[in-house]
Amino acid sequence: MQNPFRSLLAGLVALGLALPGHAGTTLDVAAPFEIQSPEPSTTGHIFTRMGIAETLVDADPQGRLLPGLATGWSVSEDGLTWRFTLRENVLFHDGTPMTPATVAGALEIARGKPGPLASLPIAALTPEPGALVIALGEPVAALPAFLAEARAQILAPSAYGPDGQAVAVIGTGPYRVTSLTPPLSLRATAFPEYWGAQPNVPAVTYTAVGRAETRALMAESGDADFVFTLDPATVTRLSRSDAVEILSVAIPRSLLLKVNAAHPFLNSPEARRALSLAIDRAGLAQAVLRYPQGADQLFPPAMGDWHNPALDPLAHDPDAARALLAGLGWVPGPDGILSRDGQRLALTLTTYPDRPELPLVAAVLEQQFRAIGVELTINSTNSSEIPAGHQAGTLELGLLARNFALIPDPIGTILSDYAPGGDWGAMGWQNAEIAALAQALARGEGGDAERARIAAILQEQLPVIPIAWYQQTLAVRTGIEGAVIDPWERSFGLPGLRFAE
Amino acid sequence: MTILVSRLVQAVVVALLVGAATFAMMRSLPGDAAWRIAAGRYGYDNVNVAAAEAVRAELGLDGPWLGAFLQWMGDLFRLDFGVSLVSGQPVIAEIGHQLGASLWLALAAVGLSLVIGPPLGILAGLRPGSLFDRVLLVVSTALKAVPQFLMALILILVLSVQLGWLPAAGYGQPRHFILPAFALALGLAAVNARIARDAMASVGAMPFYAFAQWKGLSRAQVLWRHGLRNVSVPLLTYLGLQFVLLVEGVVVIESIVGWPGIGHALVHAVFARDVPMVQGTALMLGLGFVLVNALIDLLAARIDPRGAR
Amino acid sequence: MTAAVLPRALPTGRILVAAILGLVAAFALLGPVLVPGDPFAQSLMKSLAGPEPAAPFGYDHLGRSLWHRLVHALRLSPLIALAAVATAAAAGLVLGVVAALRGGWVERLLVILADALLALPGLLMVLIVLAIMPGTATGFWAGLSLVLWVEFFRLTRATARATLASPAVQAARLLGFGWPYVLRTHLWPEIAPLMLTAAAFGTATAIMGIAALGFVSVGMRAPTPELGLMMVELLPYWREAPMALLTPVLATFALLLGLTLLAGGHRT
Repeated sequence: MQNPFRSLLAGLVALGLALPGHAGTTLDVAAPFEIQSPEPSTTGHIFTRMGIAETLVDADPQGRLLPGLATGWSVSEDGLTWRFTLRENVLFHDGTPMTPATVAGALEIARGKPGPLASLPIAALTPEPGALVIALGEPVAALPAFLAEARAQILAPSAYGPDGQAVAVIGTGPYRVTSLTPPLSLRATAFPEYWGAQPNVPAVTYTAVGRAETRALMAESGDADFVFTLDPATVTRLSRSDAVEILSVAIPRSLLLKVNAAHPFLNSPEARRALSLAIDRAGLAQAVLRYPQGADQLFPPAMGDWHNPALDPLAHDPDAARALLAGLGWVPGPDGILSRDGQRLALTLTTYPDRPELPLVAAVLEQQFRAIGVELTINSTNSSEIPAGHQAGTLELGLLARNFALIPDPIGTILSDYAPGGDWGAMGWQNAEIAALAQALARGEGGDAERARIAAILQEQLPVIPIAWYQQTLAVRTGIEGAVIDPWERSFGLPGLRFAE
Repeated sequence: MTILVSRLVQAVVVALLVGAATFAMMRSLPGDAAWRIAAGRYGYDNVNVAAAEAVRAELGLDGPWLGAFLQWMGDLFRLDFGVSLVSGQPVIAEIGHQLGASLWLALAAVGLSLVIGPPLGILAGLRPGSLFDRVLLVVSTALKAVPQFLMALILILVLSVQLGWLPAAGYGQPRHFILPAFALALGLAAVNARIARDAMASVGAMPFYAFAQWKGLSRAQVLWRHGLRNVSVPLLTYLGLQFVLLVEGVVVIESIVGWPGIGHALVHAVFARDVPMVQGTALMLGLGFVLVNALIDLLAARIDPRGAR
Repeated sequence: MTAAVLPRALPTGRILVAAILGLVAAFALLGPVLVPGDPFAQSLMKSLAGPEPAAPFGYDHLGRSLWHRLVHALRLSPLIALAAVATAAAAGLVLGVVAALRGGWVERLLVILADALLALPGLLMVLIVLAIMPGTATGFWAGLSLVLWVEFFRLTRATARATLASPAVQAARLLGFGWPYVLRTHLWPEIAPLMLTAAAFGTATAIMGIAALGFVSVGMRAPTPELGLMMVELLPYWREAPMALLTPVLATFALLLGLTLLAGGHRT
């Protein structure tokens, strides 16, 4: 019995010694996103956030486009030919130079996979000396914004396998991957031959921590220096702590109720307005999300010129909601639920737990809708049930968090969601005016007046019912300087961080 | 050698069961598998028709039932587990990564439970009915009633949140082991202690044990030569059975503390409907159980040749 | 192992079991009678508020009465667990007797199947069945039944083999008594106490499994009140409202302790 015991103990000791320790110069990032593989189409957003891979175009916190791996760009008169001048003397992490041909190759692979690029009418990608020329079938004014999206990142030719799937992350960023262990961790060190300024922090790690409670604990105990996305309860608690600093910024993401406007119960704007009036947005925001206010229109102020301060704000008025429904012929039954022609006003709301606040908001909505006589069944399931239900026409209500900044220009999302409708946007609802306005904006015609009109139509027709505007929160350990939140969710800003002396 | 043959049969049936169950899972996903997988791959912001169609085209998810099943089982027995639907990496490579992390955690937990449980149990078994024996009974019963996830929750609340002594989550440093290993070990130790206590008490009551003392050996010598050897066999046999308990604990605890092991991967794979990963991990766990028990059968036969059938 | 060397079952032990399980059952059954209320009704103004007459255990983060949520949770998991145990016990009993009576390839096949199932972690099987079955509660019932029958089968088969080979049974058969009579008078008295132990143990296992999967968010779904789910929902509010989290923790512990004692008390 002695030997097994002794070897076990020896094993435990060896285990303690064999595991790598941490140097004081490493910055540990914890965020909810799992690393699936080196593939940019699924995990690319982590590589760009960590400063490992870069895109041709960059964006500042206001959403203004900046030069990235391209130093500038121009478009022909007819809007069909774009020329991106490429930065010179850029090296990939494997030491090979970035050339127009490698850039064209990477983008060619990227647009063959699901993602925003795939939807663009690209006719040809042509490498020319010092530049990349993109020929389009029709004008796309937001093309540079599309190229700022993480999945349009430029990797070295050696990063891709023969089938175009990435097998390694060989980018051009300030940090170079030293180890990649899907699904949970990544280590990187500064890349000495980086074309720009060297980062202050020589080494970074990334840990995927799916559970919000766990991330909060890691921030509190100092196990992570930079914790991305905190749950509302944690923000309240950590803001009293001296060990961390909490940053919070409004982001172009809205929590909204997607409505099947083709459903017989929901096909009139009055019915949708009644549901909207039933929602106590202020109470919901304070109790569940712990935000100061709810949404009073679809586009948050963080969306800049898309937000229309002149709109009549969405209000909470259950009596008006009941009156609207009564006007549509609904009569209260014995249990308080409305009915019409023998049909109960019962609806199913589909949502997903990936964002922990969604099922909570759904639970609150269930009560608030019951107060006006609408019965809600909550189906908290896989997020794909919402687009799948949209396609099948079976979805009734969907509660979701929509990111308007998939590319740093909201027009991309508006086009796919409301002109005329889309998986995460309007359903069973079409509006020729919005479609025309959005397409004009996408071609580069029109401006603030067109955007204001789009917001006004959405407010009046309510194809989706806005509930809250999101805030992005992060915790940074005290003693780390220079942290900023990128509202476009593109970068953690690691190269700008410093350890205070 | 009949032991090994029956374990081999067990292994084959385990593989059949896992194969059939995961095939059924693949075929009867509520909703459309292509959508589920696309959501797992591209995230909720980006799952749309185009993504789902790309997945469907890539995986060939439609097709007749029987042919697909035979193909499925054929791949399984050729040890071709396929490619993770979510990450696109070969399942075998992913499991290879994760197995190490889980194995270390499991070993640490078993080691810790053996350090805590049996010594206390033997001490109690040497004096059955004493105050110590009774206290141990109460403590071990209470510990047995605490599920591992609850133990982890309590340890996190006390050791990490309130006292700030240990990290609540993370992987890579020795101190990250302590909390999850304890959460697993305490429940195992509660049972270990009872087994050791009962075995010791029954050995202690045997005539040969009294005889050994009477013939002039010291208490320690008697315990060493006669006691421990007899206690170790039931302990060892039970260790094999505990493996299932341990694996269940690993599945849950890894998810709680974010441990990049096989259990964490399994829960994720089930959630994302990554069936090849579910199959690979389930198979690994089931065959691991059979292997561990086969080894224990052999070891037990070695220590106590009487038991060999 | 002889009974003499085991510590004598404490006379207080049985009283303790009865008291704990009685208390939990009384709470689950009578809770809403004592204080009427709705486990789903929210009032956001009362988020994490302390106890008051209408909600003796206070409120959770959405202002739902913890008393009523706990009542609901303490009905849900035991109900699923008992249903699964009943199904598993019936299946195990029937298959165990069949295996012992028929012997041959039927027995061998069943034993091989049971052994293989034993090698697979129970939670894993439950997870797979949950993924296949449409409803969560029915999924748990089916998955847990599939896991739990093995124990009943093994116990029944072992006992039945020994009993059926005994001289008493041989004599009864020679006297012309039918199998139903033999099984009822000879086998059942032998098996019944074992079954009770296995049932208590199985119920505890099932409740633990449901709670564990709820805690890692792959079991029951919000807003259903379930013990593990309640814990994970209330964990972020630990600092603000520790009692809110401790309520389901203590209830789960009491329930499982009672069942563990019940299973342990009859063993030997």
